[in-house]
Amino acid sequence: MVVTDSSDSGTILRVRGPLEFKCQLDSTDALLMQKVISRTFATLHSQVKSESCVLTVCDSSLIIWPNKGVYVTPEEITPNTLCEDIHQWIQTDEQESAGKRSSKKKNKKSSAASVINLRLMMEVTKTGPLSAPILRRTLQKSHFLSTTLPMDCVVRTTCSDTIKDAFERLLEALTHQLCEMEKVTLQHMKGATLLVPEPLHFLLPEPKGLVTVVYPAGVPDSQLETHRKELHQQFELPDDWPYFRRANAFHFSNEPYKDGYLRNPHVVLTHPTLDNGKVYLVQGIYSYHHYMQDHMDDNGWGCAYRSLQTICSWFTQQGYVERAVPTHREIQQTLVDVGDKQGSFVGSRQWIGSIEVQVVLNQLLEVTSKIMFVSQGSELASKGRELANHFLTEGTPIMIGGGVLAHTILGVAWSETTGQIRYLILDPHYTGAEDLQVITDKGWCGWKGPDFWDQTAYYNLCLPQRPKVI
Amino acid sequence: MGRSYIVEDAVEGCLSKLCEQKAGSVTGLLLGQSSPQRDFVVMATRTPPREETPAGNPVDKEWVSEHARQVSRMLPGGLSVLGVFIITDTEAKDTLTTLRQLVFAMESLVSSEQLWSPAEDDVSDCVALHVNRKTRKTFCRTFDVKDPKSTAKPADWRYQAGVCSSWSMVSCCLHVDMLVPLPDNKTDPENMDKCLKEELRGWAQRLESGVCLMDGRKLAEDAELPGGQKRNVRQTYTAQILVTPSEQRLADEEQRCGGSVSIRGAVHSRAYLHSNKPKARLAQKLLKRDAVSTVTTRVQMLLEELLTSEDENKSSSKQKRELFCLPHRVFCPLKASGPLCVCDYQFSDESVCEVTERLKEMLDIDAAEEDLDSSQEAPGEITEREVGAEPTVETVVALVPKRNSFIGVAMATAVALLATAASMLYLNDV
Repeated sequence: MVVTDSSDSGTILRVRGPLEFKCQLDSTDALLMQKVISRTFATLHSQVKSESCVLTVCDSSLIIWPNKGVYVTPEEITPNTLCEDIHQWIQTDEQESAGKRSSKKKNKKSSAASVINLRLMMEVTKTGPLSAPILRRTLQKSHFLSTTLPMDCVVRTTCSDTIKDAFERLLEALTHQLCEMEKVTLQHMKGATLLVPEPLHFLLPEPKGLVTVVYPAGVPDSQLETHRKELHQQFELPDDWPYFRRANAFHFSNEPYKDGYLRNPHVVLTHPTLDNGKVYLVQGIYSYHHYMQDHMDDNGWGCAYRSLQTICSWFTQQGYVERAVPTHREIQQTLVDVGDKQGSFVGSRQWIGSIEVQVVLNQLLEVTSKIMFVSQGSELASKGRELANHFLTEGTPIMIGGGVLAHTILGVAWSETTGQIRYLILDPHYTGAEDLQVITDKGWCGWKGPDFWDQTAYYNLCLPQRPKVI
Repeated sequence: MGRSYIVEDAVEGCLSKLCEQKAGSVTGLLLGQSSPQRDFVVMATRTPPREETPAGNPVDKEWVSEHARQVSRMLPGGLSVLGVFIITDTEAKDTLTTLRQLVFAMESLVSSEQLWSPAEDDVSDCVALHVNRKTRKTFCRTFDVKDPKSTAKPADWRYQAGVCSSWSMVSCCLHVDMLVPLPDNKTDPENMDKCLKEELRGWAQRLESGVCLMDGRKLAEDAELPGGQKRNVRQTYTAQILVTPSEQRLADEEQRCGGSVSIRGAVHSRAYLHSNKPKARLAQKLLKRDAVSTVTTRVQMLLEELLTSEDENKSSSKQKRELFCLPHRVFCPLKASGPLCVCDYQFSDESVCEVTERLKEMLDIDAAEEDLDSSQEAPGEITEREVGAEPTVETVVALVPKRNSFIGVAMATAVALLATAASMLYLNDV
C-alpha cells in the first residue's frame, strides 16, 4: 500500500462508561423475555436522555450536561466554545515518549487525530424537596439478570465544531449504541442467558474513518462472519481485508499494550525520498520480536525464530488467527510434528531458514508463503518491483535468511526509473530493552541500502501470503 | 501534647444542671465534630433513665452504647458522638476504667452500623470526661479506639461562646434507585436485610468515589470552600454528586430469585462544617457519609418494624407485591448552637408529637411542633409506576412503629392494638 499522509487534524471525542442493566424475567417464554429486555433498554434510553446524564472530561474539571441545553461547568466555557479548546483544560504529564524528541524522526503518522476521553456518569442529586423513598417488595419466582453495558462511543470533530455540536452528536451516538446493543442482545440470547454486547471501533479507509460496531462478547470471530459480510456491504469495502475482525480494532494511542512489545517501531522513521521513488510498506500492525525477549537467551542462533515470531504477530493482530505468538519450543515442535526435523531438534539451538519458516506458518497458522531465491546478495537490488508488489498486494512482513543472518523486511523504497532501492529492515539481533529511541537511533529498525546484504551469499526470502478473507 | 476540645458554653450549663440532680453517677454523651487539629463539642446529652433500674446504680455499659447508637441516627453529617462524660462524687482516677469500657463499647456498636470505609484522616480518639459533682471540676482524657491497648491521654477542655455560630452547611437532595434480587424461598425481612446491606455497601462505595460539585463547581480536594471566613455569616452550599452508574463487574449475574426489593425515592442529606477553613475534601466526605447513613438508617428502621410485625402476624398472607414508605427526615434546631440541627425520622402515619417526644427522650431537647422542619422531604408517595408495568393489586402496609425505644410498656401496647385494627390499604393501578 502506498503511504499517504493523513491530513486529519480534528479531535476525536471518546466517551466510555458502564450502564447498569438489571431486570427480572418472570417467565421463560421467549416473547415475554424479549419484552422485558426491550423495556429495560427503554429505561436506559431515558436515563441517557435525562437531565441527570453527565459527561465529564477526564483529567480536567470540565463537566457537561448534554441534555440541559449542553450546560457546561466551569462557567468560563460555554456551549459555543470550540471543541478544540477543551485541550487547554486537560492536565497532562508532559512526558513525551522517547522516540519523538529527536528532530530526525518524523512522527506525523503515529499521532493521528488527538483523543479527548470522556466519562459517562449520572448525577444522583436533584433539586428537592422530593418524596422520601419507597421500598417495594415483590415475591415472584423468576430469573434476575444483572450486567453492565460497556458504553464506548466516538465522535470525530473538526476544528470548527462547537461543544454544543459535538456533544449533541455524542448523545446521538450513545442512543444509537443502545439500539445496536439491544439488537445484538436479542439476537444472541440463549434462554435466559444474556451475552454482553461489546462495542469496538474500527478504522476504515478515509473518508469513512472510525466506525463503531457492537459484537456479542464470547462469540468468536468465526461465528460472526455474516455480521461482517453485512458490514462490508454497508461500508462498500473489498472482501479481501479483515477490517472488522476483533483483533483489528482501533488502538487508541493513550492505551499501552499489555504485553509490553513495541508495535510498528518503523512509523517514527523518516522514509527515504528517491528520485521518482515510492515507499511501499507493511500494512497493519506487528510487534517487534528480537533476541533475549521472554527470558529466552537465543543470542546467536534465534534470529530466524524471532523473525518468524514477528510475522506470526502480524497474523494475530490483524485477526487472521487467534493464537498467541509461538515460542521457540513450539516452533521446533511443529517442525518435528510435520516430519521436517528429528525429535532431538526440540530444545536445541539449531538455526532455521526460510523454508522452515514457510513450513511453520503453514502448519500453525494455515498461511501459505512464496519463496524467493537469489543466488547472490547483489541480485537483491534488482528485486524492487517484486518486493513493492508484495507490499502492495499482501502487505505482510518478509523473512529473509542468508549468509549467517536472518532479518525481517518491512518495506522497500524503490524508484522504477532509476532503480534505486532501500530496504526497511527490522533486525532480530537486538538484545536490549523495548526502547523505541535506541531501536530507531541505532538502526535496529531502519532503512538500509543494497550494500547491507552480503553481496556474494545466497538468500532465501519467505513471503507470507495474506488469506483473502474477512 | 494531647487533643484540644473547644466546648460550647451551653454544654457547661448542661453539665452543671446535671450535677445538681440526684446522687449516684450520671452518664451521657458528648456530641460534636472532630478535625485533625482540634475537636468541637456542641452538645451534651444525658443517658436516658432506664425504668427497671433505679437511679444511682452502677453504670450500664450496654445502655449507654444503645443510647449512642440511637443518637447517632439522629445526627446529620458533621456531627457525631465524640465520647462520653460521667458525673460522680468520686475522684477522676476511680472512673478511668469505667470510662474506658464505655468509650470502647460505644464506639464498637456505633461503628458496626456504618457502611462507609474509614478514611486516613479520620480522628480515632474519643473523649472521656469526668466531672466531679462537688467541685464541678472537669478532667478530660482521650482514648484511641483503633488501639485496644491504648491508655488515657490527657486532653484540653476549654469553654467558648458561639463555637458553632458560623458553621457552614452543605446539603443536597439525593435520588436513590436500587433493585436487589431476593434468594429463592428466603424473602423474609432478615434476608432482605442481608441483601439490602450488600447493595447499600456497593452503593456507598460508588458514592464515595463519585465526583462532588460545590455550588456547581468541581473543586480540588485541598481547596477551601469559597465564601471566605466572614464571621456571623452562615455559608450554605448546595452540592451535586455524580457517580459512575455501576461497578465494572467482570461477570454478569444470572440467578434464580424468589423476588426482589427495590428502593426508589429521594433523601435530603446535609453536613455541617466547622468554621476553621474547612476544605472541600472534608465537605465531600461528611456529606457523602450522611447520605449513606440516612438511607441505611431508614432501611434499618423499616426492616426492624417489618421483623416485629411479621413475627406477630405469622398468619398474614404474603402479598405478591407490597409497598412500604420509608420514614421521612425531620430537622430540629439546637437553639443555643446557631445553625445546627439534629434530625429524626417520621413514619407516614406517626404524628409530629411522637417526634418531639423522641427528641426529648434521646437528646433532652424541648422542641415545639412549630420548631420542626419537615419541609426538606415530602412523605413517600405511592403514585409511581414502572414503564409499561401491568396493573396489579398493590398492598400498602402502613406501619405503626413499635420502636425499640425507651417509652414505657403501656404506650407500646396501645400502639400494637392500633396496628392490627386497620392498617391494610389496597390500591388499584388503573
